[in-house]
Amino acid sequence: MRLILRAWRRNAYLYRRIMGQNLRAALEYQSDFLLSVGSAMLTQVLGLVFLGVVFSRIPTINGWGFWQIVFIYASIFLTEGFASLFFEGTWRIGYFVNHGELDRILLRPLSPAVQLLSSAIGMNGIGNLLVGGVMIGESLTHVHMVWTPGKILFSVILLLSGIVIRTSINFASNCSAFWVKNAGNAVPFMVHSISEFAKYPLTIYAPALQALVGIVVPYAFIGYVPAGYVFSTSGMAWIAVLCPLVALYCAAVAGLILRTGLRQYESTGN
Amino acid sequence: MSLIEVRALTKTYRQAVRQPGLRGAFRHLVHQRYTERVAVDHIDMSIERGETVAYVGPNGAGKSTTIKMLTGILVPTSGEITVDGIVPHKRRMENARRIGVVFGQRTQLWWDIPVIETLSLLRDIHEMPAQEYRKNLDFLTELLGLDEFMHLTARRISLGQRMRADLAAAFLHSPAIVYLDEPTIGLDIAVKERIRGFIKQVNRELGTTVMLTTHDLGDIQDLCRRIVIIDHGRIIFDGALAEMTDAFARERVLHFQLRTPCPTAEQELQRIPNVTVSGLSDTELSVRFDRAFISARDITGAIMQIADVSDFRIDEPSIDHVIKRVYDGTLNLAVRKGGGA
Amino acid sequence: MKAKYLSLASRSMQNSLAYRVSFIVNMSASVFYILAMFFLWRAIYAHRTSLAGYSWNDMKAYLLVSFLSSTMLSWYSESRMSSRILDGSVAMELLKPIDFQAARLAETAGTTVFEGGVSAVLVTIVLIVYAGVMTPHSPAAWIAFILSFAVSVLIKFGVVYISSLFCFWTSSGFGVAWARAAITNLLSGALIPLAFFPPWLRATAYFLPFQGIVNAPASIYLGQATGAAVWGTLLVQVFWCVVLWFLGRFVWRFAVRKVTIFGG
Repeated sequence: MRLILRAWRRNAYLYRRIMGQNLRAALEYQSDFLLSVGSAMLTQVLGLVFLGVVFSRIPTINGWGFWQIVFIYASIFLTEGFASLFFEGTWRIGYFVNHGELDRILLRPLSPAVQLLSSAIGMNGIGNLLVGGVMIGESLTHVHMVWTPGKILFSVILLLSGIVIRTSINFASNCSAFWVKNAGNAVPFMVHSISEFAKYPLTIYAPALQALVGIVVPYAFIGYVPAGYVFSTSGMAWIAVLCPLVALYCAAVAGLILRTGLRQYESTGN
Repeated sequence: MSLIEVRALTKTYRQAVRQPGLRGAFRHLVHQRYTERVAVDHIDMSIERGETVAYVGPNGAGKSTTIKMLTGILVPTSGEITVDGIVPHKRRMENARRIGVVFGQRTQLWWDIPVIETLSLLRDIHEMPAQEYRKNLDFLTELLGLDEFMHLTARRISLGQRMRADLAAAFLHSPAIVYLDEPTIGLDIAVKERIRGFIKQVNRELGTTVMLTTHDLGDIQDLCRRIVIIDHGRIIFDGALAEMTDAFARERVLHFQLRTPCPTAEQELQRIPNVTVSGLSDTELSVRFDRAFISARDITGAIMQIADVSDFRIDEPSIDHVIKRVYDGTLNLAVRKGGGA
Repeated sequence: MKAKYLSLASRSMQNSLAYRVSFIVNMSASVFYILAMFFLWRAIYAHRTSLAGYSWNDMKAYLLVSFLSSTMLSWYSESRMSSRILDGSVAMELLKPIDFQAARLAETAGTTVFEGGVSAVLVTIVLIVYAGVMTPHSPAAWIAFILSFAVSVLIKFGVVYISSLFCFWTSSGFGVAWARAAITNLLSGALIPLAFFPPWLRATAYFLPFQGIVNAPASIYLGQATGAAVWGTLLVQVFWCVVLWFLGRFVWRFAVRKVTIFGG
């Protein structure tokens, strides 16, 4: 037990060290930094404009008001922001595998998962965090609700679960590079674009799509389910209890896929 | 037990067969065919602590595959490896602590951060005590001249500097073994010499075992006593470098500078077996001989008697020449395996 | 068209065939996006028959055109252009006796033929399976739509090409591409028909080239533009197409100095 704890502490320390260096390097490319933060913010604000335009003509969609949908929408972007800023490395797995750079990672006495996760920093995440955060804040002030310490605490847990779910899905889908051996592996991109469905209330979709987003690739637990809890939508509060469990499940699956992929890489090389 | 023990090591790759063109692509979609390619074929090898071994062979001979298996990033199809008592692919991380690796074609430096920061990150990754880090860093800095570019990012330094930095990264944590895969590729002669000097010194002072794959014969001649030649996945020679040249390059050429012309030399020398005149002019006489049958001393003695010699030199065949003939297939070393080495 | 550009186009088409699986999987992003939109609008139209002049049937047709447009000149073509600049191979291009812009157009055309083929198949399937989606009223309207759609791809090329040139000043293509996509999606009408916009934004959008990418072909498809208006729409599209081409040349001349004078 103590050994495991020590390993985790070491991993966390080295992750911080490497990310610190990444951050310094990223800040050197000032125009890139500003551009990526700016374009991330722009994308989101224009998404918000879209919602605004739609809601200027209708009051609710399936019982969800403008600010409630903004909350769901922003949750998707906020968790994306965390995933980009801290775990952008997931998107480089394909590069590592295809260019034989994974060798280098395997030759260091540090967990490959830590090295992969810390291999890049996505400064655009800052843009997503900023706009997503402001949008969530705004949505919470526009909808009347009662906050208790317990509710605040559980909301934070929901946010953390969302980040874990998001990152794990990114990680797992990018691990497809171990099997799809070409530079244009589109699987991670495809899986990522499934999150498109998670920007709106799940109830608008056909059952098959609800199953896809709710169970197969559980993006619904990032925005929609937490929104149901936070806004006390009838019958949804208890589903939110599942969020942390779904997060653990996703992380475990991602870890398993990485392990299988590494075994495959070790037997075929590159 | 040797530091590195390799027994009947084999690696087989399965490759998809793909016909060219659109039709081939469609056919592949329906019916996938594979061929097996044996990259490394039952090789045996033992390397002792402190050795420097050149591991050479033509492109595609199986060098990199062997190195990848030794470093634990590739699992063998069959056979056994132990490195310092560890099976590398079973305990990769533990193995990684004790080895250093340089791939000449690739850098292990972080591209966007200063070299010194890369080294300090590696210190943390290898959990080195501060004192040891300090000591090794000073040693490496001096030998490799790191301070010239230590504070620049890997992106900004030249190829030669990058290689020096990569070597520092590989040797930083006092590894017992270092695998160098083409460490001097693409470098100018001054950098090459610096790097060779460095490797020699580290090997001598710290006793680091070095395994080197290279196409540069200067590297081999300069660094390695022992040479292992692999071709088509099999080891075709394993022995001392000198032994190889002794055994397979017995031919020597003696060149004599003449003060006065000696037109009768050819005729005179015909009497000596295993000696042929390969060139004769008014000022120079060249004689080819097999040193297994006659010594340079005997030939020189004989010629001194018939000609007025001002100077002479001896040409040994370069290992370059020998290895090239091995690759070409004109020199078959396989007969030697197990016999002499 | 000179043979060398034709050969570039055909090579790029072959290449997209070689990566066909990736292409089709990539297209799934557009499919998901449009599906999400479809269900969102379906929920919205559940309680009303018309919004901003669009019936539910109009909206379905609009989404189809928007989808078709999004599959053309996809991420692949865009990143191919920007990576040429980012990885420095643009310097090699300068050594060849070809025009950079024309070469990129040729490559894009080759890929787009493939993308267009796949999308055409998809759309045909949708039209057959989902018989409720309306189609242009007459053969003439079909022809006008196809023409307009072809020009819309050229406009998209113009926009993408110019934005890619901004990579001369950055070291990563993502920011540029995202910003480009965000602006194009909103102002072309890809996100939502321009008729839904507040008047000031609608007026602005109509004065910009982006509306030629989705709004123009959609208005012909839906029969909102008829008779002379069809010609007007097409003419405006061609106008923007030409303007963007020359604007691209202008920006290129400026941008390439980064390589020729400053050494990259």
